[in-house]
Amino acid sequence: MAARKVSDVLPVLPPAGGPTSKTQARIVWEQFRRHKIALFGLLILAVMYLMAAFAGFIAPYGINEYRRTPVSAFMPPMTIHWIDPETGRLTRPFVYEYVSDRDPVTRQRVFVESVEGTRYPIQFLVRRPSQPYKILGMFTSDLRLFGVEEPARIFLWGTNNLGKDVFSRVLYGGQISLTIGVLAVWVSLTLGMVMGVIAGFYGGLVDDFIMRLVEVLDAIPGLFLLIVLATLLKDPRNPLAQAFGLSMTSGQTFLMIVIVLGFVGWGGLARTIRSLVLSLREMDYAQAAKALGSSEMRIMFRHLLPGTASYVMVVLTLAIPGFILAETGLSFLGLGPSEVDSASWGLLLRDATARGISIQFVPWLLIPGLPIFIAVLCWNLVGDGLRDAFDPRKRR
Amino acid sequence: MLPYVIRRFFHLIPTFIGATLLAFMISQLVPGDFLTAKALEPNVRQETIDRLRAQYGLDQPIMVQYVRWMGNIVRGDLGLSFSSNQPVMNVIRRPIQNSLYLVVLATVLLWLMAVPLGVYSAVRQYSLGDQVVSAVSYFGLAIPNFFFAQVLILAIFLFRGFTRDTFGYTGLLFPVAGMTSNGWENFTPWKQFWDIVHHMIVPGFVVATAGIAGFTRVLRGQMVEYLESDFIRTARAKGLGSRSVTYKHALRPAIIPFVAGIGALLPSLIGGAGLVEIVMAWPGITPRLIDAITRQDIYVVLGFLVISSLLLMIGNLISDLLLATVDPRIRFS
Repeated sequence: MAARKVSDVLPVLPPAGGPTSKTQARIVWEQFRRHKIALFGLLILAVMYLMAAFAGFIAPYGINEYRRTPVSAFMPPMTIHWIDPETGRLTRPFVYEYVSDRDPVTRQRVFVESVEGTRYPIQFLVRRPSQPYKILGMFTSDLRLFGVEEPARIFLWGTNNLGKDVFSRVLYGGQISLTIGVLAVWVSLTLGMVMGVIAGFYGGLVDDFIMRLVEVLDAIPGLFLLIVLATLLKDPRNPLAQAFGLSMTSGQTFLMIVIVLGFVGWGGLARTIRSLVLSLREMDYAQAAKALGSSEMRIMFRHLLPGTASYVMVVLTLAIPGFILAETGLSFLGLGPSEVDSASWGLLLRDATARGISIQFVPWLLIPGLPIFIAVLCWNLVGDGLRDAFDPRKRR
Repeated sequence: MLPYVIRRFFHLIPTFIGATLLAFMISQLVPGDFLTAKALEPNVRQETIDRLRAQYGLDQPIMVQYVRWMGNIVRGDLGLSFSSNQPVMNVIRRPIQNSLYLVVLATVLLWLMAVPLGVYSAVRQYSLGDQVVSAVSYFGLAIPNFFFAQVLILAIFLFRGFTRDTFGYTGLLFPVAGMTSNGWENFTPWKQFWDIVHHMIVPGFVVATAGIAGFTRVLRGQMVEYLESDFIRTARAKGLGSRSVTYKHALRPAIIPFVAGIGALLPSLIGGAGLVEIVMAWPGITPRLIDAITRQDIYVVLGFLVISSLLLMIGNLISDLLLATVDPRIRFS
C-alpha cells in the first residue's frame, strides 16, 4: 500500500492572489495608525531623535565651548530681530551684540542689547573649523546650520554659569538622555526574558530561586540602589573596574550607567514573562514541540518566547520613559555622564541648582526640563497606542 | 488571621537576608577600606594598621564579615559611622524620619486626590472634565519630579514678585527650602508642627503627582469596567441610588488593586521623594545617603539600605494584610 503523502492530508492552500490573511504586524500597524495621538507622539519622537543625531550640525556651538572674555555667564536668551528698526520692514534676521552691565540697585550683572552697536545678521551654513563635531560618531564635519560672525555670539536659550550655550547643550544632551533609556531597556529585556523564561519553564527550585532574586532586588528602593551602584562603579579604583582594567572613560561610564539601569529594572519584566510562560508551556503547540523531541532551549526560545512578544513590546515601550526619567535623575544628582565631555538633560538642570543661584534670575536654565517632559510624554503616548493596537478588545 | 500574619512574617526573612547580602556585596565595590587612607599617613606604622584591621575584623574573609555584621544588625547595632564617630543608628534616624513624613503626606494626598478624580472620570466618561483629567494625568506622568519642583519654586518666586509689586507683601507663599524656619527651636510646639507642615506642602505635593496621575488613570479604567458589569445593572434595576451604586458597588471592587499596591507604591514614593529632597533641601534620606557615599562612610550607606528595605518589606506586609481584610475573596489558607 502506497503511503499517503502529507499533501493529501493537509487542506489545500488558497491559490496565490486570492484573499490572504493579514499578518499580526500588519493588523497592529493598521490599528496603531488610527490612533492619532500615538502617531503624533511617534512623529515628535522621530524629530527629537533626528535632532539629537544631527546635534552637531544644528547646534551653533561645541559641547563645551565657552570663552572667558568677554564675560558671558548667565546671559538670558537673545532676541532675534526680524524687522529693521530704521525702515520698519521685514529684514534678514539679526542680533545685536550684548554688553554686560551692573544693575544699579542689586549690583547683579545684567546683559543689555547694545541697540546702537553693530548688527550681526544670522548666517546660515557656516563653517567653524575650530569646533569640529561628529555625526553618529562617524562623519566629522565643521559645518553648522547657523551662527553669527565673531566676536558676537548667539545664545537662543541663554547661557549657564560658565557661559556655555544652553541651546547647543540641550541638543547634545539629547544624544545621551534619549539613547540611554533605549539601551537600558534592552539590557533589562535580555535579563528579564532569560530569567523569566527559565523560571517559568523549569518551575520548582529554579523558579523559586529566580523569583526570590527579583524579590530581593525589589526590597531595596531602586533609587538608592542606583545612587550607590553608580557612585561606586564610576570610581576607576573600584575592584570591578580594576579586574577588567577599565579606567572609566566617558564611553565606559555611559555603558556602566546603561548596565546599572538595566540591572536595577529587570525584575518586573522577568515576573510578567514568567507568568506568561507558565500558561504558554501548557499550550498544545508547546506540548507538540516537546513530543517531537525539541531541545529545551529550542522550546524556550523558539516556541515560548515569541508568544510573549506582543506583550513584551508594549511593556518595553512603556519602560523606556521610566529609564529616561531614571537617567536624568541620576545625572541631576551628578552621578551620570560627567560634565567634562558630555551633556545630559539632567546634568543641565543641575546647573539651575548650583550653589548661590536664585532660579528667578536665571529661569532659562530650566529649559532642559522641557525636552525630558516631551520625550517621556511621547514615549508614553506611543506605548499606550501600541497597547491598544495589540489588544483585540479595542480593535476599531 | 494570626497564623497568616506569622507565616507572611517568616516569609520575609530570606528576602531580608538576600537584600542585606546584596547591599553588603555592593559595599565591597568601595575601593580600599577606611584604613587605606590611614596607611598613607607617614606617622602611622604598618603594625598599627594591621592591628586596627584585625580589631575591626577587616582582615577576615567577606562572608565572615557579613555574618558578623548581620549578627549585629539582628541585635539592633548597625555599626559605627567613620566620619562622625557615632553609631550609625544615631546618624540615620532623623533623615529616615524626615523622609517618612514626606512619604506619608504624599500617600495621603495621593488617595485624597486620585480617588475622587478617578471616580469622576469614570462616571462622566468622555465629558470635558474627564478629558481634562486624562490630559493632566499624562502631564503628571511625564514631568520629572525634580524638574516639577524646580518649576514650582520658580512659580513661587514669580508670585512673590507679583504680590510685592501689587500689595507690597514680600513673604513667600510657601517656603521653598528646608524643613523648618529660622528660630524653629524657640517656637511653641503647636507652631513648630505647623511650620513643618507648611514646609512639607510643596515637596509632598510634588512627590505625589506622578502617583496621582497613574492612580487616577488606572482607577478610571477599573471603574469603567465595573460600571458596565452585570451586577451594577442589577443594582440599578432594583432601584438603588446612583451614589450608592457608584461608591458601594463599583468603587469597592475597583479600589482593591490599589490597596494591594500601597506596598509597591512605597519604593516609588521614596525614590521620587529622593530627588525632590535634593531640590528643596529637605533633610531626608537621599541627601545624607549621597553625602555618606562620597565620604565612603560605608556603614551609614549600608544602614540606609538595610533600614529602607526593612521599611519596604513592612509596607508590603501591611498592604497584604489590608488586602486580606478588604477583599473577602482572599482566604488565609
